[in-house]
Amino acid sequence: MDDFSNNQNIVHKVCRIYTTNQDQHNDLFQEIAIQLWKNYAKFRGEAKFSTWMYRVALNTAISLYRKSTRTVKTQDFSDVSFKIASNDYDDTQDQQLTALYNAIRNLNDIDKALIFLYLEDKPYKEIAIALGISEVNARVKMNRAKDKLKKILNP
Amino acid sequence: MDLSHYKKAWKNQPDENNKISQNEIYKMTQSKSTSIVKWIFIIGILEFVVMNSFYFLFDDTSQKEMMETYGMTNVLLVSQIIAYIILFYFLIMFYKNYREISVIENTKSLMTKILKTRKTVRNYVIFNLTYLVFISIMISVGSLRTEYAHFSTKESAMFLVFMVILTGIMVLVFWLFYQLLYGILLRKLNKNYKSLSDLEMK
Repeated sequence: MDDFSNNQNIVHKVCRIYTTNQDQHNDLFQEIAIQLWKNYAKFRGEAKFSTWMYRVALNTAISLYRKSTRTVKTQDFSDVSFKIASNDYDDTQDQQLTALYNAIRNLNDIDKALIFLYLEDKPYKEIAIALGISEVNARVKMNRAKDKLKKILNP
Repeated sequence: MDLSHYKKAWKNQPDENNKISQNEIYKMTQSKSTSIVKWIFIIGILEFVVMNSFYFLFDDTSQKEMMETYGMTNVLLVSQIIAYIILFYFLIMFYKNYREISVIENTKSLMTKILKTRKTVRNYVIFNLTYLVFISIMISVGSLRTEYAHFSTKESAMFLVFMVILTGIMVLVFWLFYQLLYGILLRKLNKNYKSLSDLEMK
């Protein structure tokens, strides 16, 4: 569980793109924690722990049955949560980040996963393995997802 | 603007400010999971219990007597034995599916397995509905041959129409219930699975 504790930022990022409020965020975080805990015995160290964690976190987010708490969008937490910035963190980037999160939330579940893995600099080979599609297909799908994202960001 | 700017912003994003302590994470892992597969499994078991309790709710002895007068005791017994063998097969499949599904697989095979679970449940419901129709046919035929043997052709026909409508309504109710239950649970997954398979088709 040490590894998880150190890498929990990955899970928080996944939660942020797949949920729209703090309650859902906490629910998903908890579910991912449970899945990581339950499956840790099957983690044989053939990949880096963080890589394995990406997969479990995304799969859980994609396959989780969301409780029907469709809360009103005005309760979104995204707009304020990135204001706590470090010294070298400028305002433009802050705005970009907020815009980015809002745009990603408009994508479908699979595109969310693709874009997330792209932003995390995962190579196509790993993305293909994680999603269970071929590398060529991963590239095609990624390009489409990026196009969709760009359209949302610059309408 | 190019995505690379956003990527830079993404990389520079601050760490989550309310980090969850190891102790809290441990507590989380000890709580109950709410995954979709678990729900399918639980609902499957519940269906099994509910559907079977129907058989027990109806007075068994009067049913037996009824079948005796119809001369169908053997048919009923054999059909019940077969039905229970099939029911247990489904229960084992439910459990097997449930055990096999794991989030450490790749996304596509994870969803394939979840949808396979759904197929098992669907077959299970189809079997139950078929059995319901079978019993209804037995009762119709049996009663027409014995207690309603004096019915004229017209009366028999009306009785049959009534039985068909009754059975139809029961099947419809169960079917709608099933559609609603699993439709809601699996809509999202179906969409995701399609989105992943679309490319392979082309």
